[in-house]
Amino acid sequence: MTSITRVHNRVSTSQGHPWSAKADRLQSATGIMLGGFLLLHMHFESSILLGKEAFYHVVQLLEGGMFSSTGHGFPIVTKVFSVFMLLMVIVHAAVALRRFPAQLGQWRALRLHMGSINHKDTHAWFWQLITGFILFFLVPVHLFTMILNPEIGPHLSAERVYHDNAWLLYVLLLPAVVVHAMIGLYRVAVKWGITTKRSGLRKFAKVLIIYLLCLGTASLVSYLFIGSELGIPVQPFVPE
Amino acid sequence: MSQGRQLTFNIFRYDPQEPNDKPKMVRYQLTETPGMTVFIALNKLREEQDTSLQFDFVCRAGICGSCAMVINGFPTLACRTLTAKYPKGEITLMPLPGFELIGDLSVNTGKFMRELAERLKLWLHPKSNDISVHRLEDPMDPDEAARLYELERCVECGVCVSACATKQMRETFVGAVGMMKIARFEMDSRDARTAEDFYHVIGNQDGVFGCMTLLGCQDNCPKDLPHMQQIAYLRRKMAMTLIR
Repeated sequence: MTSITRVHNRVSTSQGHPWSAKADRLQSATGIMLGGFLLLHMHFESSILLGKEAFYHVVQLLEGGMFSSTGHGFPIVTKVFSVFMLLMVIVHAAVALRRFPAQLGQWRALRLHMGSINHKDTHAWFWQLITGFILFFLVPVHLFTMILNPEIGPHLSAERVYHDNAWLLYVLLLPAVVVHAMIGLYRVAVKWGITTKRSGLRKFAKVLIIYLLCLGTASLVSYLFIGSELGIPVQPFVPE
Repeated sequence: MSQGRQLTFNIFRYDPQEPNDKPKMVRYQLTETPGMTVFIALNKLREEQDTSLQFDFVCRAGICGSCAMVINGFPTLACRTLTAKYPKGEITLMPLPGFELIGDLSVNTGKFMRELAERLKLWLHPKSNDISVHRLEDPMDPDEAARLYELERCVECGVCVSACATKQMRETFVGAVGMMKIARFEMDSRDARTAEDFYHVIGNQDGVFGCMTLLGCQDNCPKDLPHMQQIAYLRRKMAMTLIR
């Protein structure tokens, strides 16, 4: 008879599996795509800062205005693209879930570690973890709005932000997505060894976070002002 | 010579062998001497104030890797840390987390390193035709030898393991030290193992695809080993394996 009731086994029996590599590549690839899209998206929507006319033309171009008889473009483009982005987010979330401290013990180990060891990149990852969790709930809300009601325009977007109270969503979504995406792009670059200039990259990510937060906040305020001046029912903006 | 300043040490004390002992922090005062390292201070404290204080050391020169501990929140070697680095003169010492505690600041890194080496098979696997002892060894390209030597500088102090939040969350994760050693044998032209063989050891969540690139290993390694580049190299290499 043996007195050993529990064998403490540090040795993992898991073997290399092709999906381990695939999942890691998918997480990085979808992450780069989503982060790159965010950079474009933020700049397109902030064209409102240059005036209603500028924003109208950006939307017109992206929705294929030159191919439509009215010249306004097709909102279905936004709809289809939003479905595609939702799929990307689902894939990214599914593979990124591998990283979450899913057990309470893991969460405690993480918090204990962060309390005793001072390390900036670990803290950055922690914020990415928190914002990633928040985005599980906020991104689908934003995307469903764009799928169900894809009308975009200087007046239509302002109506959504001001009269439909979407500003509340954007106020929460903006910091979460900017922090998550910029730390993520930094990490993916050092993770695959795309660059070894880490301190420069980290500064660049910080500058981008501040820049995008300012840009996004300014655009949001500008939509709120436009929305507050609109009468109900809202008429779509038509350039003179 | 003028009198040195007073240093305050807050040291983690716990002896798991003592049935009624409880983990606690104990304060010690010590007069600083020129060029004092944390290692010298610990020896003085043990000699003059508390003979029961447990900590590890062998070489006192950053070569043996025994005296790693957490000093004011940074895991590093006590023998390479000058007390002059801390202007407030307040120094908190904790044992390296993630290892079996022997007592106070002493942890069993050796047991961990041995288990890791056995699990990942961290020794040279010669090609079958190399077995004859009468055959002259093939000369190694000096550049390759230099690359291998760079990774051989690891002193197995355990700092990279303690500094890694991933390792703290997932017990079975191999950590930077394991991956650095795999990278060393992967680069060695004398080793018979192929990329696929290595994939079966580290091509999973416990290996290179479990690493979240938090880079605690890179930022705290007392030997300044290139963890970031080597793990990225392995990740690229492993990600290319099994898809051809």
